[in-house]
Amino acid sequence: MSDTQWPRFMVFQQVVAGEPLVHNGTVHAPDLEMSLLNGRDVFLRRPAAHALWVVPVECILTKTIEELQDGSWLTGVKEAGGPMARYHVFGKLHHQGQLEQIGMVEAAGPEQALKTAMSEQQGRTVWVWWVFPVSSVLASDEDDIDSLFRFAESHDFKNQAYYPVITMMRQIRARGKR
Amino acid sequence: MYGASVDDVKHDEKEDAGKMAAFEARIARGEKIEPGDWMPAEYRKQLIRMISQHAHSEIVGMLPEGAWITRAPSLKRKLILLAKVQDEAGHGQYLYHAAETLGISREEMVEMLLTGAAKYSNIFNYPTLNWADIGTIGWLVDGAAIMNQTMLARCSYGPYSRAMVRICMEENFHKKQGQEQVILLSQGTPSQQKMMQDAITRWWWPTLMMFGPHDTDSPNSPLLVRWGIKTRSNDELRQDFVNQMAPDLMALGLELPDPDLRLNEETGNWDFGAINWDEFWRVVKGDGPMNAQRMAARRKAHDDGLWVREALAAYAERQARLN
Repeated sequence: MSDTQWPRFMVFQQVVAGEPLVHNGTVHAPDLEMSLLNGRDVFLRRPAAHALWVVPVECILTKTIEELQDGSWLTGVKEAGGPMARYHVFGKLHHQGQLEQIGMVEAAGPEQALKTAMSEQQGRTVWVWWVFPVSSVLASDEDDIDSLFRFAESHDFKNQAYYPVITMMRQIRARGKR
Repeated sequence: MYGASVDDVKHDEKEDAGKMAAFEARIARGEKIEPGDWMPAEYRKQLIRMISQHAHSEIVGMLPEGAWITRAPSLKRKLILLAKVQDEAGHGQYLYHAAETLGISREEMVEMLLTGAAKYSNIFNYPTLNWADIGTIGWLVDGAAIMNQTMLARCSYGPYSRAMVRICMEENFHKKQGQEQVILLSQGTPSQQKMMQDAITRWWWPTLMMFGPHDTDSPNSPLLVRWGIKTRSNDELRQDFVNQMAPDLMALGLELPDPDLRLNEETGNWDFGAINWDEFWRVVKGDGPMNAQRMAARRKAHDDGLWVREALAAYAERQARLN
């Protein structure tokens, strides 16, 4: 079996506690747990992070600004009964930016969740919407921070300031010769 | 549609003037093109070629430096080199991911590398003969790569540009580490200075070749510029590199192997001599000093890694049974 035929998962990263999560990219993996580890290896090898989320791609409802432009999708969304669930809402707020967490809504289905989110975010330009159930997310927890994301602060050689090349070059030039 | 517009490429490539005009207007406005968006087949093809080549270069690029991990002169230098080589592996992974969003699979790309159908950066077909080569690669080779990658960080394809932003950050770090090593060796004992000079003499010209053929011989360039993939030409980038590097290397007392190299007071540029394009094409076509060894090492690594792929597949099968 080839690894790229495994299911795809979206990876989201939170740099600092309390800040919105930001979309990083996708990984292939046999299950959620492996996708979390793959996501960590691919996207968070160097930068420090507070949390990482993975979500199966098929759990995400996506709509672009173009698809929503003429309003026909929105008017086609039916009111639905049934059990309510919580949904995360992500949006791409700048053309050149990445998708970021913009809220959470409660709804009876993904379409209704997006409809609710759109009315809550009225007046805001959102180029791409993603909505997925809170229950579809595997999130790292506090105990993972040390083993998965902690920046190796004791390793001086990983610190940019450890290589004062600009000062070194200036000193050598000032000497005028080797 | 669930998740589909994210990276299930629709391959809607029926090209009509309207779609093409809308696409080019988006690029003119500085918008990023994302995986699910309509794009001309040629845009997709060029990006797959560039990104996969770039990924292969990161992977093959581990070999010349990896050869010195066991021979690093101190624990500190060994740790620095280990972390750098690990970074290059990470960049390769990151770029394969970006290329996958265009609808090509990892297996296809790896296959193309192993059969020789895909290229990687020519610079890695040169050998690392002494320890000073490691600092030289960090400063000059990564420095040249950064000039190209800083441009690509502004390219029109979203996943590639975002990968580049991150990669540039780490490459800048490598460049500093390399520069520090070159400074120290060039100011060191006579034998260290000699070793440093030898490395610069061997790597200077191959590094200038990294920017690719002259603009007049670069057939893809105009299209790549028009679609916002490249925003600067090979020759412009190469000139910037020489302007930046030549004075610094000379300040360290190092000699560059080019009798025609001099500052042109009128243009402010450093003029340099003719590049040996015969050598360039000979190495590209497989006849460089290290081409055969590099490919043999990659094939061996791929074969030796079979058990890992099999173990992952067994895990996936078991998980599927349990769920």
